[in-house]
Amino acid sequence: MLNIESKKNAAELSVALIGRLDTNTAPELEQALNASLDGVETLLIDMEQLDYISSAGLRVLLAAQKTMNKQGEMKVLHVNETVMEIFEVTGFSDILTIE
Amino acid sequence: MIELVHLEKKYEAATPLKDVNTVINDGDVISIIGPSGTGKSTLIRCINMLERPTGGKILLDGVDITAPKYDLTQARRKMGMVFQSFNLFGHLTVIENLMLAPMDLLKKSKQEAFDTGVALLKRVGLAGREFQYPDQLSGGQKQRVAIARTLAMVPDVILLDEPTSALDPTMVGEVQAVIRDLAKTGKTMLIVTHEMNFARAISNRVFYMDQGGIYEDGTPEQIFDHPEKELTRRFIKKLKVLELTVGSRDFDFIGAGAEIDRYCMQNDIPSRTKYRIRLAIEELIQQMLLPVLDRTPIRVTVEYAEAEQAATVTVAYGGERFDPQEGENELSYRILSRSVEELSYTYDPNQSDANTVRVRISEKQ
Repeated sequence: MLNIESKKNAAELSVALIGRLDTNTAPELEQALNASLDGVETLLIDMEQLDYISSAGLRVLLAAQKTMNKQGEMKVLHVNETVMEIFEVTGFSDILTIE
Repeated sequence: MIELVHLEKKYEAATPLKDVNTVINDGDVISIIGPSGTGKSTLIRCINMLERPTGGKILLDGVDITAPKYDLTQARRKMGMVFQSFNLFGHLTVIENLMLAPMDLLKKSKQEAFDTGVALLKRVGLAGREFQYPDQLSGGQKQRVAIARTLAMVPDVILLDEPTSALDPTMVGEVQAVIRDLAKTGKTMLIVTHEMNFARAISNRVFYMDQGGIYEDGTPEQIFDHPEKELTRRFIKKLKVLELTVGSRDFDFIGAGAEIDRYCMQNDIPSRTKYRIRLAIEELIQQMLLPVLDRTPIRVTVEYAEAEQAATVTVAYGGERFDPQEGENELSYRILSRSVEELSYTYDPNQSDANTVRVRISEKQ
């Protein structure tokens, strides 16, 4: 299960992820981002309540990062320890801006 | 010597003993271990005919004691039984409990039965308790009286049915010490027990019972350190096992995830290990195997060894050789290989599930 809570404020889009970002739920996030990144200059992804991430979730983040490289910036916020470990073993901690 | 030949015990609703065959040699001290409900107590209750077998034979020193006209008192004189719940006569003193059967069945004189009783009480550490009643004794003391009572009949074989399981933990040691002492006397003993260290210490043989019989029979070293058969290994290592079969690409992974969570919760598996178990299964099956080739059914076994705080996830699938490391999904392989302690791949074309990937996930890694 993944809940996606989005808030748009002018050119800033905040997306809070709640639950699991895995093979089953990653397509939902991909769809949600594809539908809302037009005109966004700052994308904030809040992972405070994200319990789990797998490669399927990382791929969606990578695609979003590539889009945002062209039109602004993307930040990943409040990453917990277990998710951070996955970012580290995959090298995503160097690709993403994690705050 | 006791020979069990195609021994069977059937009840209306269950068959705890399907086909038991073994030879128990004089002087063998055998611990009988295994999960609940696998016929351990039934086996020893059949051996002294407290339960009549529904099939097969029991030969005691070459004589078939299951034969219809056999005089059972002959066999029972040779075999003593110690029960979980002591079964002492509450209205008799300790010494009277010990004297009753030798006087009635062995026709010993009162004095002789008394002297033997006193000596046996001393042997089990209860000198001076002769004239007390069972109710005045602790559980451990009652069980020691029960053991002394069995010895008073000078049996060749002693059967003990979970002799310490009804005791307060503080009293287990004193009873085990008496049984340990007994095991050195050369008498044949069969003991049903859940105490693995105790079984290892006293026995020359261990029966692991499962699937309606003696599933594995070996020395304590064989059974406890190098069990050959799968169910023995799971039992000895206290493995908690979850098995899943991914039957098709439409498999309910969400439901399976919930099942894994439940399994982890029931077995107190730490959350970091749980995360990695789910990650290993997801990356391997949903990301690496299913998108590129249909190798269903894929069999997944998760085993958790509580003592080692380590999980092993085994994923087995058929078809030609496919080592996930050689696939194109580098990201998933990187996650998989770096979030586990060990990763191995084997291929055996003679097996129906020719490919096996095994990962070990440890809390300590």
